Amino acid sequence: MKKWLGKYSQQIFLFTAMVIVCILLTIRSEYFLTWKNIRNILEAVSYRLILAIGMTFVIASGVMDLSAGAIVSLCGVTMALALHGGIPVPIAVAFGILLGIALGAVNGLLIHYTGINFFILTLAVSGMLRGISLMITDGKPITKFGQNFIYLGIGRIGEIQLSVLAAALFTLISIPLMFHMKWGGYVLSLGGNREALIKSGIRAGFYRVTVHALLGAAAAAVAVIITARLNSAEPNAGMNMELDAITAVVMGGTSIKGGKASIAGTVMAVLILGVIRNGLTLMSVSSDYQQWITGFLLLVSVLISEIKVYKLKALMK
Amino acid sequence: MKKRVLSVLLAVSCMAMVLAGCGSKEDAPEAETAGKEETSKEEAGGEEETQNKTADILSGVEEQMNQALGELPETGKGEKIGILISSTSNEFWGTMKTRYEEAAEELGIEVEVFEASAEDDTKGQLDALNTMIPMGFDAIILSPIDGTNLIPGIVAANEEGIPVINLGPGVDMDALADANGHLDGKITVNFEEQGSTVANDMISRMPDGGEVAILAGLEGAGQSVGRTNGATKVFEETEGVELVAAQACDWDTEKAYEATKDILTAHPELKGIFACNDNMALAAVRALQEMEIEGVMVYGVDYTSDAKAAIEEGTLMGSMTYSSSVYTKAAEEMAMLIVQGKTFEGPVYLPLTLVNQDNISDFEGWK
Repeated sequence: MKKWLGKYSQQIFLFTAMVIVCILLTIRSEYFLTWKNIRNILEAVSYRLILAIGMTFVIASGVMDLSAGAIVSLCGVTMALALHGGIPVPIAVAFGILLGIALGAVNGLLIHYTGINFFILTLAVSGMLRGISLMITDGKPITKFGQNFIYLGIGRIGEIQLSVLAAALFTLISIPLMFHMKWGGYVLSLGGNREALIKSGIRAGFYRVTVHALLGAAAAAVAVIITARLNSAEPNAGMNMELDAITAVVMGGTSIKGGKASIAGTVMAVLILGVIRNGLTLMSVSSDYQQWITGFLLLVSVLISEIKVYKLKALMK
Repeated sequence: MKKRVLSVLLAVSCMAMVLAGCGSKEDAPEAETAGKEETSKEEAGGEEETQNKTADILSGVEEQMNQALGELPETGKGEKIGILISSTSNEFWGTMKTRYEEAAEELGIEVEVFEASAEDDTKGQLDALNTMIPMGFDAIILSPIDGTNLIPGIVAANEEGIPVINLGPGVDMDALADANGHLDGKITVNFEEQGSTVANDMISRMPDGGEVAILAGLEGAGQSVGRTNGATKVFEETEGVELVAAQACDWDTEKAYEATKDILTAHPELKGIFACNDNMALAAVRALQEMEIEGVMVYGVDYTSDAKAAIEEGTLMGSMTYSSSVYTKAAEEMAMLIVQGKTFEGPVYLPLTLVNQDNISDFEGWK
């Protein structure tokens, strides 16, 4: 029991915090606990979750990708241009996703083969990609794509929006992928124990490229959702989205050094941030609080895990 | 172990207190539902002039502008003027850049337009200004991202003796004075007037009063604060109209879209939304369409091409605009006048126009 509490302290913290926030919001706003509002929350967090799960894999592999938001933007405007060029929706979407995968893979290749620090590298890539988005759109949003495409952003099966289904599905697949399959195991050891991985003859490059390609695919999926939802592709879309994703991943207990990941933690972190955002708007409270609370949650969550590491070290002495 | 559990509990309860505290703003005084006749009367006269063509409106605006400037400069002698805008990643500033260049050609002067990399890149904009100072401009026209970000650069320009003209979003004058800096001229849109004009048009269409909301831009940005204040004042002074939410959405369409859904969930009877720019207004329109809610009037600011289309379609009620060609030309004329020795005391205001579903046919070819 003690061991379990220790291992999952961050997730327990987030869960407790979420329960308390939900209880408070239920008392404060009669609308909070209505199905319509819960649906709003789920739809608002869906694409954030997709990106955060992708980012969980990348952070588990010991690096970060600061270009994810720019990939969202470039995939969005590329798809928009394709659609305006008369290309059918499925082909345009497939092209957008492939572009996301390719851009992600390029990040992986560059990180692995150039040895440039991932932070600098993805920052540079981010600037270049966002620049391309701005150049090809002239800074203007591209709008109006027809009902077939919009359906991808707002269509529902029964009561559940497609984006929510996609996020749920991606989350469910990611758990066995991370923890029960060879691929996930190597991704984790890429972060936790890279030397040993290479010594044992595993092609680290393959895992580096594929893990970034996965994030690229996730970013492209986000681009489909938000472009379709707003019926508008903007070069500024996805601004700071990668930082929000990194925040949620780290808050959820995935180690920034890699080697240790928590999908459940990422899900909870994305959810609690979504609930707080929604709650503040419902209560007509300034969104300034949102930033404070996000920072505070991140700090406490990480603090809990650091205390844990510190205690373990003390025990080993 | 115990300590850790304790620290978790402590942290959670600390956060709970913050959350509990921030709800208390909600109990704003309810406005009474009596007597809203005054506000709806004055709007009746506005519909007679539907014959006005764009050209007439434009030349009228230019005339007003020229009166505000006082006199016109001598023809350009190739003055070199540096212009610093926010970022062309916003369509509005992209258009402004083009208009600046067109006006310069017309006036016979030379301009060069600089910008920040993004609309929230305050430091990058200051860097751009610092780069401009040694480039030998006769005057600099600048539009800061927020009230204070360019102050060190303005002071540096003052020291070099380069006249500085502030167009649009204002420089914080107190902070500038503290830094021993000054502006040589200011030409601006009255942002409060943008907000109040929209609010007045909105309430004129709400004879029975009702709930309204504001989607603000970036917290602290001059346009956003001015527009929000202008609209808030009108809403608060109008009996029967209640401002139920004013959320900062940082000019971000995705945030505006989500905020609209959340606001409508808490206030299903909402009658009107004023978004501080068109991109956010159109995101609100999208959210309303998706929630299948009709009868909420949405207004924006900027009159972008998408906003124009949406007003024509009837999904957007209106958008504030002004003539960017008159605006940029006036700014350059002001710069020329200052270079030629004239001084300006107070700010010069640009005439404003609301395009709505009733008058949009008058605005073909507006620029």
